[in-house]
Amino acid sequence: MRLDALPLFWLLFTVAAYVVSRALYRRWPRYLLSPLLMTPAVLLAVAVPLHVRYADYAADAHYLALMLGPATVAFAVPIWQQRHLLARHWLALLGGMLAGSAVAVGSSWWLAGLLSLEGEISRSLVPRSVTTPFAMPLAESLGGVAELAAIFVMLTGVLGALCGGVLLRWLPLKTALARGALFGVGAHGAGVARAREVGGEEGTVAGLVMVLMGLLNLAAGPLLVWLFV
Amino acid sequence: MKTVTRGLRRVLELAVLVGLYLFGTALASWLGWPVPGGVIGLALLLAAFATGRVQPASVQWAAGLLLAEMLLFFVPALMSLLDYGALMRDAGLRIVLVIGGSTLLVMLVTALTVEGLCRWSVRHEA
Repeated sequence: MRLDALPLFWLLFTVAAYVVSRALYRRWPRYLLSPLLMTPAVLLAVAVPLHVRYADYAADAHYLALMLGPATVAFAVPIWQQRHLLARHWLALLGGMLAGSAVAVGSSWWLAGLLSLEGEISRSLVPRSVTTPFAMPLAESLGGVAELAAIFVMLTGVLGALCGGVLLRWLPLKTALARGALFGVGAHGAGVARAREVGGEEGTVAGLVMVLMGLLNLAAGPLLVWLFV
Repeated sequence: MKTVTRGLRRVLELAVLVGLYLFGTALASWLGWPVPGGVIGLALLLAAFATGRVQPASVQWAAGLLLAEMLLFFVPALMSLLDYGALMRDAGLRIVLVIGGSTLLVMLVTALTVEGLCRWSVRHEA
């Protein structure tokens, strides 16, 4: 019997790979060792040669993805603790979210056309800046593919979390608000996790912005459908 | 005995957050709202803090744990790449370029807008 046929093998393997890469990252904080990059790289290196399908992997490991729901609820604690900061700067955050969303939609469409990607792929790229549960149905109503949209959302998070750190180094940002919004709008969930490494205030702002972005996109969805269909 | 009570308390804290998420999901599907259950749970917990009957400290440990290890919960969705090997070989580089380029622009514009608006409002308050 193959080892990966054991019940919950992939769940345990994912957690083990994560714990080891997190320990390595704490010791040597380099981008290439970031758990968000290392963990899937190790898993793919094992799963691809074994011809594991996503459904087999997900049967074990989907419990981890389910924890994103309670993690969203958990944001209530830092948001409550920072409520005065947020009440004071809500206008700046709203402005950043609107500008960021417009650039996300416009630039994905423009770059996808520039690199001559197929229509189905481009249409799945457009709702990318949204968190997954919002992005999947939106992609379908735009004529894209829901599964592709989910992958693109994930890639956005990973790439965004990685580039965001580099961007912070040479952008002269004085406020934690701008640093947090950068991650929350640009790289949603994964960006929030990265923003929490930068600082507590940054993490809170990013988390709040991510949740609000989801709601904003819910309202903007019909507008996008009207623009693209 | 003390460690047992503390362990039990921590499990209870996690159960509260999971429970709020499940309740939010059930409520959304019952009302036919297209809002994720986690967002409804978040709103409910904030409302509970606002009443003053629930203290944030009472769920602090579980909330801290979930937020600190959030990257782990994103890994399974990334593994859906397993089913799109052919597409990634064909168009993977171009897709990464579009996403990377667009994301950089989004971050740049968002951060500069927020920073600009913050400075503007500080000037106008002073």
